[in-house]
Amino acid sequence: MSLLDRLRGRADLHSLAAPYALDALEGNERARFEKHLAGCERCAADVRALSEDAVRLAWSTAAPAPAALRDRVLTAVRTTPQEPARARENRLPPHVWGTQPPPARSRAPRPRPLFVPFATATAAAALVVAALFAVQANRSEQQLAAERDRAREIAHVLAAPDARAATGRDAEGRTIGVIASASEGRAVVTLNGYDDLPGDRVHQLWLMRPQAQPLSLGLLDDDTPFVANGLDRAATSLAVTVEPDGGSAQPTTQPVVQLALESVGFGE
Amino acid sequence: MEADRLLIRVAGGDHMAFEELYALVSGPVFGLVKRVVRDPAQSEEVAQEVLLELWRSAARFDPGRGSALSWILTLAHRRAVDRVRSARAAGEREQREALRAGTPAFDHVAEEVEAGLEREWVRRCLDRLTALQRESVTLAYYDGYTYREVAERLSLPLGTVKTRMRDGLTRLRECLGGVA
Ligand SMILES: [Zn+2]
Repeated sequence: MSLLDRLRGRADLHSLAAPYALDALEGNERARFEKHLAGCERCAADVRALSEDAVRLAWSTAAPAPAALRDRVLTAVRTTPQEPARARENRLPPHVWGTQPPPARSRAPRPRPLFVPFATATAAAALVVAALFAVQANRSEQQLAAERDRAREIAHVLAAPDARAATGRDAEGRTIGVIASASEGRAVVTLNGYDDLPGDRVHQLWLMRPQAQPLSLGLLDDDTPFVANGLDRAATSLAVTVEPDGGSAQPTTQPVVQLALESVGFGE
Repeated sequence: MEADRLLIRVAGGDHMAFEELYALVSGPVFGLVKRVVRDPAQSEEVAQEVLLELWRSAARFDPGRGSALSWILTLAHRRAVDRVRSARAAGEREQREALRAGTPAFDHVAEEVEAGLEREWVRRCLDRLTALQRESVTLAYYDGYTYREVAERLSLPLGTVKTRMRDGLTRLRECLGGVA
């Protein structure tokens, strides 16, 4: 094989990162590309980013698993030994993170990780997913009807041509996700990780505007997406505070998390 | 996220943590596998393998390199695709063709009865891709076709399909809330 052919073959392999991330290579080609991945940093980085994108497609597919599956899995787990922590050989595809160290790791320490943390890049959608999974567990007819109403409201926000998503994160890694439409003045807000409140306290959502008192948007439930209405374009951020049961007229505590709205089209 | 904390405890042999993890991820795992595999009985089998693999291989998860949910769903997708391909190779091709005839892959997204928020959001973003980007991405991801099969089905050159897949994924990233 001439050098040119070899280079050409390599260039061809480089182009397989996207199909690989979608699991769209057939067996032999997959194996060949995984071999290439081990030595090509460009493709390794590419595959990591594209795989994060591909996995977003999974978010729309969740469906309740059959009850019998739970029994079978939990029973099997009782008699299934675990692999020891150091067993990180190359048995799973490299893009299944953690199954194989990145090619570069064995050579020199990197100044910073190759990965954009999933949570940073995609937290808004992930939060939304987490919120809905939680809702699915046990619900009555009444709850279902309320969910359908909320789903309609939410769909309306999502359908707005200018709808955009953003995420805020506090020091402890808890997050607030928002999908907002400035033209509609509406937003879907989800909290994640703030479920450790005492029984007599609630989370209250506030709209922060320049030269104005915080405006209460309502009380938040940790595992339920909240639809906020009446957001004016001057709004600068959303804030969440812990308030006594029933909520307060104005915030009585410092916000536990705050999210700027500029990136979703507010704050003119 | 919660799944990350749980998976780390599962790696230490914590059965309670596994039950919690199961509650959190069995729906996403089963739903994804079923979308790709389609046959309910086979989907259950594959989902069971994946969930057991989480228990067995939890120690392989490296939280520094991505979220647990992402790791889990990537694993589930790989297993589902492998299963649907071997099922096809075993002679279910005709049946599948009949099922698929004239049905653009995108409709599979639309046919779900339940209007979940995340579903709406993904759908909305898929809707913003060009038709070729969307079909290239969804035929591969939701239907388990290789990019060669996708090229054949769409009568496109291989290079074009690879590019559409990349562009489609990148555009999804932008739409699905790529802002930090
Ligand atoms: Zn390469």
